[in-house]
Amino acid sequence: MDCFIVSCTHSKTYHLGRRHALWLSTVLLCGSLIAPAQKIPQIGDTRAPFSTRATHLLGFANARNNSTGILSVQHDSLHFQQEGKPGAQVKIGSVRGVFLGGDSKQVGGLPMTLGKAAAPFGGGRVVSLFAHKKYDTVSLEYVDADGGIHGAIFQLKKGQSEIVKNELMAHGVTISSHHVQSAKQGAAEVGHEDK
Amino acid sequence: MKTNKYGPFVGRVAALIAMAFALPCGLPGQTASARSSGGSGTSATQWSVQVDQIDANNLDLSYSFQIAIYENLLVELNKTKQFQQVFRDGDRRARKLPKLLVLKTTVEQYTPGSETRRAVTTVSGATKLTVRSQLFTREGKVVLERTVAGNVRFFGSNLRATHNLARNVAKTIKQSPSLGSAVAFGATQAGFRG
Repeated sequence: MDCFIVSCTHSKTYHLGRRHALWLSTVLLCGSLIAPAQKIPQIGDTRAPFSTRATHLLGFANARNNSTGILSVQHDSLHFQQEGKPGAQVKIGSVRGVFLGGDSKQVGGLPMTLGKAAAPFGGGRVVSLFAHKKYDTVSLEYVDADGGIHGAIFQLKKGQSEIVKNELMAHGVTISSHHVQSAKQGAAEVGHEDK
Repeated sequence: MKTNKYGPFVGRVAALIAMAFALPCGLPGQTASARSSGGSGTSATQWSVQVDQIDANNLDLSYSFQIAIYENLLVELNKTKQFQQVFRDGDRRARKLPKLLVLKTTVEQYTPGSETRRAVTTVSGATKLTVRSQLFTREGKVVLERTVAGNVRFFGSNLRATHNLARNVAKTIKQSPSLGSAVAFGATQAGFRG
């Protein structure tokens, strides 16, 4: 498109007057100024901080156990933010390992469990057959300032753990073959749940 | 008049009797307190513990379970207040402590369960974990060795088995009557070695 305009201007500047040439050069100048401006948001999009909804099961810094929030990668740290509470973060450089897994759980929590128990003629059991959902787990191993080893487990939507793993790998976290084996094992566990 | 004559004598006798009763009662009390203070010097509360990472023992135990056992053990051991401090594996502060026990946990048996199966059948789908917990002194003397199990049979997620297991391990350590004397024995052995 740009090339066509340039060729056009070149051909017309010789035939048309100085006024047209000035007008076209103004258009070209404006176009050249706008073009980089259009590219800037695209670059910004690729560098946008990664974030996903996750449930913190245990172990991550000062975050409360079994709490839901946003897990994000900001600059050089992994951040977990609960709604209306101060966030917890761990330096990505201190993460020693990322382990993927998967499991299945019953949905609805305690109210659903009580409801199923109260349902007559074993109706609760039938509900249990369908009221379960698969999820991914991401287990992290990181080191604190004193060298103490910590472990943290997050529960994510199915398929999200790979994205988290890739994001952490992009920030320099190494994942060994043992971790891949764990991921396979996690998948096998989910398969076991299905049986 | 008579009372005035014998009054000082009766008073002295009463004082002597009181002293005679007081001395034998007082001395055992003192020895008991001395014993208790000496005993507390060798009790587990004077010691700190370092929890090592879980050894899966080549079992197909997912890493999330290993992490959950490790983290729950740290929490539950802190709750027992049996140890002065509870350290994580690799903590540099633990290296300087003279009275340090190391808790090693090896998984002996793992039966994967299913929450859905538990909810549907009630009788099957239990997640079962059995571990061997060993408390070592810094010199490698085994102070305590127990096999502990943790299960989830009815309600709760599979990871709840790790919480139950850690609670059982902490309870076992707390209730172990031989821990204080065993620690003292380990300390004397270490003293002889050192």
